[in-house]
Amino acid sequence: MTASYARDSQVDRIRKLLVANRGEIALRIFRTARALGIATVGVYSDADAGAPYLALADEVRRIGPPEAAASYLNGEAILGAARAVGADAIHPGYGFLSERPGFARAVVESGLIFVGPPAAAMVALGDKVAARRLAVQAGVPVVPGLDVADPAAVRAFAAQVGFPILVKAAAGGGGRGMRVVASERELDDALQAATREAQAAFGDGRLFVEKYLARPRHVEVQVLGDRHGKIVTLGERDCSIQRRHQKVIEESPAPGLDGAIRARMAQAAVSLFRAAGYVNAGTAEFLVEGANFYFLEANTRLQVEHPVTEMRFGCDLVAEQLRIAAGEAVSDPPTPAGHAIECRIYAEDAERAFQPVTGRVRYLNLPAGPGVRVDTHLAAGLEISTWYDGMLAKLVCWGTDRAQARERMVAALGEFSLLGVRHTAAFLRDVIASEAFSEAALSTRFVEEFFAAWRPGPADIDAALIAGAMAAEGGMASAPQLAARQSNAPAVSHSPWERLPRFELWGRR
Amino acid sequence: MRLKRPGEAREFEVEVTAGEGADVRATIDGREIEAQLEPLADGSTILTIDGRRIRVIASRRRDTIIVAAGPASFEFSLIAERGARAAHGLVTPEVSAPMPGKVLKVLVHEGQRVEAGAPLLIMEAMKMETTLYAEGAAVVKRIAAGPGDAVEHGALLIELSPVADPSAPAPDGQDS
Repeated sequence: MTASYARDSQVDRIRKLLVANRGEIALRIFRTARALGIATVGVYSDADAGAPYLALADEVRRIGPPEAAASYLNGEAILGAARAVGADAIHPGYGFLSERPGFARAVVESGLIFVGPPAAAMVALGDKVAARRLAVQAGVPVVPGLDVADPAAVRAFAAQVGFPILVKAAAGGGGRGMRVVASERELDDALQAATREAQAAFGDGRLFVEKYLARPRHVEVQVLGDRHGKIVTLGERDCSIQRRHQKVIEESPAPGLDGAIRARMAQAAVSLFRAAGYVNAGTAEFLVEGANFYFLEANTRLQVEHPVTEMRFGCDLVAEQLRIAAGEAVSDPPTPAGHAIECRIYAEDAERAFQPVTGRVRYLNLPAGPGVRVDTHLAAGLEISTWYDGMLAKLVCWGTDRAQARERMVAALGEFSLLGVRHTAAFLRDVIASEAFSEAALSTRFVEEFFAAWRPGPADIDAALIAGAMAAEGGMASAPQLAARQSNAPAVSHSPWERLPRFELWGRR
Repeated sequence: MRLKRPGEAREFEVEVTAGEGADVRATIDGREIEAQLEPLADGSTILTIDGRRIRVIASRRRDTIIVAAGPASFEFSLIAERGARAAHGLVTPEVSAPMPGKVLKVLVHEGQRVEAGAPLLIMEAMKMETTLYAEGAAVVKRIAAGPGDAVEHGALLIELSPVADPSAPAPDGQDS
């Protein structure tokens, strides 16, 4: 599927690709482009100047200050950089400008190739309200909902379908501006907070409400379409395990999903993307409850969790995107094999509602081994700030079946060690190792149902306290020192470290 | 020494002493733990407790200690040996920013009495709103940040005073 890049003389050969993104996805795209012999251009804001992942680009350009609005969301600065370096194509990655039709249009109008869908298809599928209408027209089932969040209409809707209801940003994604409203009493506050968040996150405060399903699974279908009207699907991904309405664990195939539902979902995804005139990689997201599935939203870009599909199908979706953007035909998908699971490791406090944390990488040990893939821009010295999304790494494990993929993931997460930024790897390990995950008791409520009060294990806390106490003292206190301290006499001056001369803590250097 | 995890009332009393060779003896809240240390060339250390080997690495800056223990990551604060605030039953007299971000709303005013669990302030970080709550009953002594302020991790937001309680010792020296 990936071998024949640009062999057709009629395609628009891409020679130099600018990646309008940062972090792990920029690195991911650089790697595929390099392997295909395409020169790569990285762009960076001042916050990312000197970030180690930029070493993988053939050239780099500064595009602005740390604020995303002035750098990674600054289409003019990015187009200016593309012109300055003579790039002939732009890959937007995910997030930032990847789903902005205005940017896609501007790229094409500048005579460059946009590695993504045409602006018109993005408009048709990108806005949740418009996508829902299109889905209804294409005969795809949708969750009962309401396009406009006028409080009076919302009240009438809630009276009809019953609380709880879900309030979302019309322009949104990733859980921002999303609120579950349990009763009429909470409605006004929730609408106001959601409008603020939506306005801040997307520059568009429009809202959308729908019936809140009790225990749905999130299952999505990977789609690839070419300029010649061919659309194929590459299986599904179950992304039910979420926190703050954002995915943290994804897998393919979706465990226990009925074959008939799977086929109908794939067909629905094809109908929808065909109706939108879609070209390139995209994803149709569905909620599945019992024997029913409902269209949730479409993502008109590469998904964060695309490696799950790549591991199972043995393909390179970024290479496919580049081939499609150059005008080549989509090939028939390879036969999938085995099972793949992805864990997203975030710079967050898993014990405190997954609040973001910051820091600098001081020590890093990444997992490896058969069937183990790590997509990350982590490197010693990397600063993790609040300027951008706090995803640190995607750990993907493949196995011949789900049990093997799961065992490999538990082992791989156990190998992951990072000092300098607190992160969620231990939480993820406990989730993957749990009986609930093993039994695939999947729903979007998984984390609140099984891991709401997660704590690190007592053995880990003990080990951390011992290491922490040693770091605090710059070494261990000897028994005479303790006795001296207790009697308020001056501490004995010789270092107990002399007894363990090779032992050094990172922070002591 | 006493170590505390941020945002938690519980304190750990930890002492570590050198034993024979690579052995260390630790006491955590009165529990005795024996461990063996194996330094690795990359700066981390294998700590073996009850036959379980775990890779640890730690660093201290001022009163903050960060630790990686296997895939788990921790932050501890070193508690000064004064003990004045515990005596007043006030868990944390200062409400500080748990992460860098922006103050959206202050929900209390100076001089106001708040109960445990009362919402004090709403912050925004990474476009998510987070509400900070009172850990115990207190009076709002000073508000140090206002709506729109960009604050760093650990920045002082609100100072609290303990609520006068006849059963508590006189609150002299409470400001440490």
